[in-house]
Amino acid sequence: MISSQKLVRPLLTAQRRLFSLRPIAGGRDVVIVSGVRLPFAQASTIYQDEMAVDLQRLAIKGLIDQTALPKDAIDYVVCGNVIQEVKTSNIAREAAINAGLPYNIPSHTIAQACISANAAIATGAAAIQSGHADVVIAGGVETFSDVPIRLSRPIRQKLITLPKAMKKGGPIGAVRHMLKGLKMKDLSLETPAIANFTTGEVMGVSSDKLSAKFGISRQEQDEFTVRSHTLAHKAHDDGFYKDEIIPYRGSIAENGIKGNSSYESVSKLKAAFVKPNGTHTAANSSFLTDGAAATLIMSEEKAKELGYKPLAYLRDWSFKSCDPWEELLLGPTYCTQDILQRNSMSINDFGVFEIHEAFAGQILSNLAAMDSDIFAKEKGWSKKVGAIDFDKMNIKGGSLSIGHPFGATGSRLVTTAARRLQEEGQQFALIAACADGGLGHACLLERYDN
Amino acid sequence: MTAFYSARYQSTASSAVLEEKPTDPSPSAAAASSTATNNEEGSKLFVPTADRKYEYFTNVEFTKEGVAIIRFDCPNKVNTISFALSDEARQLWKGEIENNSDVKAVVFSSAKPDMFIAGADIFDIKRIENKNDLVGLIEEGVTFFQHMREKKVPLVCAINGPALGGGLEWAMWCDYRVCSDSPKTKLGLPEVKLGLLPGFGGTQNLHELVGLQNAMDMMLTGKDIRPHKAKKMGLVDLVVSSQSVEKDAIQSAVDIINGKLKPKKKAKSLMNRLLEDTSIGQKIIWNQINKMVQKNTNGNYPAPNAIIRCVQHGIANRSTRFENEREEFAKLAATDESEALIGIFDGMTQMKKNPFDNTVAVPVKTVAVMGAGLMGAGIAQITAEKGMSVLLKDRNDAAIERGGSYMRDNWDKKLKRKRMTKFQHNLNSSNVVGLTDDNPNLVEKHFGNTDMIIEAVFEDLDLKRKIVADIEKITPDHCVFATNTSAIPIGAIAEGSKRPENIIGMHYFSPVPSMPLLEIIPHEGTNEATRATAFNVGTKQGKTCIVVKDVPGFYVNRCLGPFLVEVSALIRDGVSLEKLDRSVLDFGMPVGPVTLADEVGIDVTSHVATFLSKADLGVRMDGGDITLMEKMIDKGWLGKKSGQGFYTYSNKKKGKTISPEVQAYVKTFVKQDLNLDKEEIQNRIISRFVNEAAKCLEDEIIDNPVVGDIGLVFGTGFAPFRGGPFRYLDQIGVANYVDMMNSFADKYGGQFEPCQLLKDYAATDKKFYNN
Repeated sequence: MISSQKLVRPLLTAQRRLFSLRPIAGGRDVVIVSGVRLPFAQASTIYQDEMAVDLQRLAIKGLIDQTALPKDAIDYVVCGNVIQEVKTSNIAREAAINAGLPYNIPSHTIAQACISANAAIATGAAAIQSGHADVVIAGGVETFSDVPIRLSRPIRQKLITLPKAMKKGGPIGAVRHMLKGLKMKDLSLETPAIANFTTGEVMGVSSDKLSAKFGISRQEQDEFTVRSHTLAHKAHDDGFYKDEIIPYRGSIAENGIKGNSSYESVSKLKAAFVKPNGTHTAANSSFLTDGAAATLIMSEEKAKELGYKPLAYLRDWSFKSCDPWEELLLGPTYCTQDILQRNSMSINDFGVFEIHEAFAGQILSNLAAMDSDIFAKEKGWSKKVGAIDFDKMNIKGGSLSIGHPFGATGSRLVTTAARRLQEEGQQFALIAACADGGLGHACLLERYDN
Repeated sequence: MTAFYSARYQSTASSAVLEEKPTDPSPSAAAASSTATNNEEGSKLFVPTADRKYEYFTNVEFTKEGVAIIRFDCPNKVNTISFALSDEARQLWKGEIENNSDVKAVVFSSAKPDMFIAGADIFDIKRIENKNDLVGLIEEGVTFFQHMREKKVPLVCAINGPALGGGLEWAMWCDYRVCSDSPKTKLGLPEVKLGLLPGFGGTQNLHELVGLQNAMDMMLTGKDIRPHKAKKMGLVDLVVSSQSVEKDAIQSAVDIINGKLKPKKKAKSLMNRLLEDTSIGQKIIWNQINKMVQKNTNGNYPAPNAIIRCVQHGIANRSTRFENEREEFAKLAATDESEALIGIFDGMTQMKKNPFDNTVAVPVKTVAVMGAGLMGAGIAQITAEKGMSVLLKDRNDAAIERGGSYMRDNWDKKLKRKRMTKFQHNLNSSNVVGLTDDNPNLVEKHFGNTDMIIEAVFEDLDLKRKIVADIEKITPDHCVFATNTSAIPIGAIAEGSKRPENIIGMHYFSPVPSMPLLEIIPHEGTNEATRATAFNVGTKQGKTCIVVKDVPGFYVNRCLGPFLVEVSALIRDGVSLEKLDRSVLDFGMPVGPVTLADEVGIDVTSHVATFLSKADLGVRMDGGDITLMEKMIDKGWLGKKSGQGFYTYSNKKKGKTISPEVQAYVKTFVKQDLNLDKEEIQNRIISRFVNEAAKCLEDEIIDNPVVGDIGLVFGTGFAPFRGGPFRYLDQIGVANYVDMMNSFADKYGGQFEPCQLLKDYAATDKKFYNN
């Protein structure tokens, strides 16, 4: 049934797959026209004084400038954001109008943990496919420089009911109301933890467990970390990111990338989450990152009409979720399997992989799961996903080195993958990412020939 | 009532007034009515009909609760208080309100959207030859206000939009003021800026509402007060949305009738009661105010002191306070200073009108600014602020960022002072697109959509020509090319261009965001569309534009040339740097010439002087040794920016000193000590300046004396109370001036010889202005 929906195209070149893909869901072809990000930066550094909405605004503005996109051609703006600033719950809307977009362009915000921007892109693509939009800006943003630190619940409750107490008992009544039953520990503050709500487990602990399950050693993780930094550093040096990163205060440098990191230095660190014998450290886990990104997607006709040379088709995507207690960050494996199955493809059909590196242990566990016959059998899959060629994966760096602003990473992965397709002359790219809650995402791009 | 509101809504939505320039650059509009519109529209004879009984008001509306609503609606675009309006108001009051016992309250409002009353009509004042006649006319007005109050019904004002000058004075005669929170609503008494005082009871009523300190601050600076501040001060009683301002004013009137609402004055803080309501406190206040006035006016402006006298007189003698006020007003109106300041205001209003054919002007949405240096960034800033898209082009990201941070810093300052919202800040920066040579395709893509280029790169003819050639390839045919140069002839830049007719000079002054003047310099081949477009964009950027001929130095710098030479001549003749600065300051210039050179930069100043001495000014650039500054450049004394010019500037200490090193250096240029007195120093240096301005008029570099006056007042800060070089000449008499210059010529040389035009005017006793 799936294959009947595909149209066979003529053979283009020998190395390529025999046919190009059509969107499975039907509808119009969606293309990735361009994408940008603000330089990702360690929290509380260059974006210390910015609000998340400002970062998203700058990313949207950067995208428009970079593409000379007429503002009135935009139909919709959708952005991902995870740890929300309460003043800007619909951050996409505020960012859009503060970027000077006309008031009549609607926008909404998506929270789907670390794949929020992927969700934004998929939502935009679906709107294009169904004819609800032609031009969509899909992006995402995160800041860890200004997370909402809250008073404890008992104090919050008291403050909310304070006006009532004041009315009844005057100032003395108000003081009495505030002090009544107050415990010392109520004076502490609540800071958001990078933990799952249901399981109460910190991400790093989950990933550490997952790595233990799939037998990923500390050494493998540390080596992978160094690889990420080295490749990201090289990509910057080579100028690969010149057109993808829009300068902030005149610079496109990303301060999380440690070009000089070595196995020796990384392997010295102590376990950060599971003590004393855990494998996850501050180095082989992605750091708290501020940043924003935006990807421009259009219907193919519209892109042509506006005279753009798109980077890639967005052919298909998948969202899956799994058991948050056991395999919280294993979503990419499920989604990759889904993409291959839906499109009758093999992992070897892909020339470009961009896979989110939340933790070195997490990505390596996923790769292990994909290449495991036992795992495939357990899940009742007819065959395993297969091994991903490291030479094709994350060769411009990844979240471990570039950084991981939760809401923005998805947009970075898609943009980089699309640009790599063009640069490397490959036909298909696979993007995959995990997210809190046992969620996963994968999507499939095909190079656009201009 | 519903019908009325929907009707008003429709009129707002369709009104042409909405298309008015979105921003009026000068908030100083005591009377925003230009004399031009006044003449045009005033000449039409008003014929009353049943639907329109009054020329200046819509028909009075009466509500069932007994509220009479009187709405200002002048025939011009803006509402202004004139003697004609005042006459008609009396007639309206007498006919419909005075003896109408159904009227329980009166609401004053406006039929124009976003406009209460912009001020009093200065044309009225100019027209009256014997300023003493003003006393009687003002008396009629004040008597009318008093008469209105005698009806003993609540008077309520609904203010949406500017309530300035006479408009605010009207409102202050009322019992209750409701204003809107619209950004267009501003209240103020800007009369002082025209060398006048608020004559319709303003100097007496204001301090009773807002206290002495606030009142003096408002009247002496002429500044606008925004709605929420006005409420805090007690200037208005209620702030509401612009949509409901009239409704709320009517409701307030009804509530006052019913006794539900009692208008009361804002309570003063204890501190203010001690200061303002005790004689010792008042003494302290007056002391402070007098000091401040002396410091800011240097004794050159009579209006502030008159305002102080009026208030003081009113506090001591309540019975004659209005009489005294109008007498002081008439006296001020007769001063040269007021005439000069009104002349400048008038000139500025005239300069707002595009002298070229507006119908062929290119509608400009996108402006590309070449070069993100100080000039370029400044131009980009004022363009982006007015909602145009700006393409800021420079070599690389670092250069763009220098420009970007310049704008950001300026906007941050405005944000901090609440002159700008965060949203506006964001919009402004979103309007600027940085483009670099790193991405030529993107540059081409953006430039394909640009309507105007303003080039602000290094002063180099070949570079500018190359830019023209490069740009012409990638811009649409209608794209206007403006070059911001202070030295290179526009014609030379246009040579070899594909579309020379699109090329024009736009000479901005540094720092661009704060300097009010722009010189527009068409070369011979510049077409009408380009001229009209440049003028429109300059005006939209908030600049007062003057059109000048394509000659070396254009107008402003050309006049500065001989002035700078005379600086070195005076130093040669033994005048110390401080004395030179002091003398020129006392003449009324905002800064002395030595400080000016430091502030502009010794290199820039020297460049202008050298350039002009090689140009076509001949003997008029003689008489001094301009190598004085040239050699300072070699020493690295570049002025304030390098910490060392004529003066030494320290980061730690405020102010400036002269180092012994500079003293010694300057001494080498002193040939003799003529022991010149202040007056001679002033006359020598100013006459070089004034004569060059007159020569420019003679050579048709400027079209008329108004342009000449506005140019030097806005471009160099030429003593505003003297009204500019031409009005100054009128005031002392051209013949006297020519005699003085001739005597200088005998004494010092041909550089002082007055130009032919001055000689002709002197011979025929002609004046530059005839009013």
